[in-house]
Amino acid sequence: MEDNKKALYDAMVSCKVPSIQGAVENARKAGLAATAIIDTMSEAMTQVGILFERGKLFLPHVLSAAAGMKNAMGVLGPELIESGGMSAKMASVVMGTVEGDVHDIGKSICSTMLQCAGFDVHDLGRDVPKAEFVRKVKEGCTMCGMSALMTTTMTVQKEVIEMLKAEGLRDKVVVMVGGAPVTQAYADKIGADIFGETASETTGKAKMAA
Amino acid sequence: MTQFYTRMGDGKRVLMTREQMINDLQAGMADAADMGGVPDLSSNELEMILEIITDRNRVVGVEPGNEVVLTYDIGQLDFTGDNGNSGNGVDVGRLESALLHERALAADTFELAHADYSIKPVKPIISNEMQTMEQIQQQITVPYFYGAMPNAGLYYAPDGPYGNPADLMREFKIEEAMAAAELTADHLARDIEYVATRMMSAGADGFNFDTTASAGDADFVGTLKGAGALRKACPDAYIMIGMAGESVMGIHGSIEYDGSIVAGTYPHQQVKFAQKAGANVFGPVVNTNTSKSLAWNLARAVTFVKECVNVSDIPCHVNMGMGVGGIPMCETAPLDALTRCNKAMVEIAKVDGI
Repeated sequence: MEDNKKALYDAMVSCKVPSIQGAVENARKAGLAATAIIDTMSEAMTQVGILFERGKLFLPHVLSAAAGMKNAMGVLGPELIESGGMSAKMASVVMGTVEGDVHDIGKSICSTMLQCAGFDVHDLGRDVPKAEFVRKVKEGCTMCGMSALMTTTMTVQKEVIEMLKAEGLRDKVVVMVGGAPVTQAYADKIGADIFGETASETTGKAKMAA
Repeated sequence: MTQFYTRMGDGKRVLMTREQMINDLQAGMADAADMGGVPDLSSNELEMILEIITDRNRVVGVEPGNEVVLTYDIGQLDFTGDNGNSGNGVDVGRLESALLHERALAADTFELAHADYSIKPVKPIISNEMQTMEQIQQQITVPYFYGAMPNAGLYYAPDGPYGNPADLMREFKIEEAMAAAELTADHLARDIEYVATRMMSAGADGFNFDTTASAGDADFVGTLKGAGALRKACPDAYIMIGMAGESVMGIHGSIEYDGSIVAGTYPHQQVKFAQKAGANVFGPVVNTNTSKSLAWNLARAVTFVKECVNVSDIPCHVNMGMGVGGIPMCETAPLDALTRCNKAMVEIAKVDGI
């Protein structure tokens, strides 16, 4: 069983979709529980994130590993629901790049890593209207992640926080901000709860806050 | 406690003690050793860098007999360019600039370059470039090359025929992004062969591939294949391959040259690819961190380059200019930092040229 877990971990870090698919099939045939498969893949995804930050892996690798994980979630989903594994989500998170900003690679990586870490992620994509973040919080998301890649759009993060305050929702949600021009000082200034410089740092802080 | 004037990586002048510099030298060296998997410098070598940095003279130099070859990138554009990167804004013709470099600036080699300085835009004006090469060769004595950046970015949308991997990856179209990068590498290799062989037929002594891999790993593979084709077509061509950065970005991630993945490689690994492609000279690059001190950046750069020189079978002419080789990242490199970095590269990393 441990060999299957190791093979699965190694396949994820190799970042090749067919290898990941094969390792998942082998693990299932060997009787490894769906929750154990996902836990192993999540652990490997964290390692992929670390190697990405160190320049040992690159964006295509991260996206391939994420695609492999996404495929596995599709196959294992029914089994996870049956075993109650799906109910163990850490928190429900709305993610998006704020309106006026079309950059979304960093945000997508962050969404994927949060998903791999066990969060229920609602990724609204890029150029997301401010009201959409508020709507998702009203619908039950307890974490709100906003990305901005430009100095001209980072101010929208503050505006969404103000809207959450105006709706009386601010105390019910953990606000996360990130993006190239965003800093810890800026996050503190606008009243965000979490600043993430990288996808794995954001995921680590989100886990602590969930 | 005695303090010494030195620089930060953005050129700002700061005062530091010997102890602070020693700490930064060790940290910079450790960073290179960790990132590149290369050996540490010896304590003697670190002491030598410290002596160079703390020298009380504004300008330092190598001892007589240790002088190295000076080669140049970018041709006349270092005079004529005025766009905030390499130029001085002095309008001078290509012939005049070549002769000035040879006869006034002690250049051991020089090159002809086009205003766009990229392979692709040279194709439609190849006849003009060949004519100019032939004319200048009548008057110049030092080896005179043609120089251009491979610049594979010009082959991706919206400038070229292939999909842009950055756009495709954003849509999770990973295989399409990789396919676009592979097509680009092959197209670049064909264009290099076309341009380089024609310039050689016009009398060029060789070809300088400058800023190689600026568009990532497919750019590097395309250049290596193109250089290989040039070597085959022109066995006597003098081929220089200089890099864009210390590590090759993985825009494709898995593209290979001669059976090895090139993404994520550092100078001591890149030089092996250049050798296989038939290069005569390799130009390693180490980037400067603007938030770190000269001591940190120089120790880091020397650690990388020393190993590159150690493993290389061909001469290494290290890139030394704004923002590379430990030199601060500012428009006009400060002479104190510039000369210190050059001396360290020659005397400790043992480079063959600058």
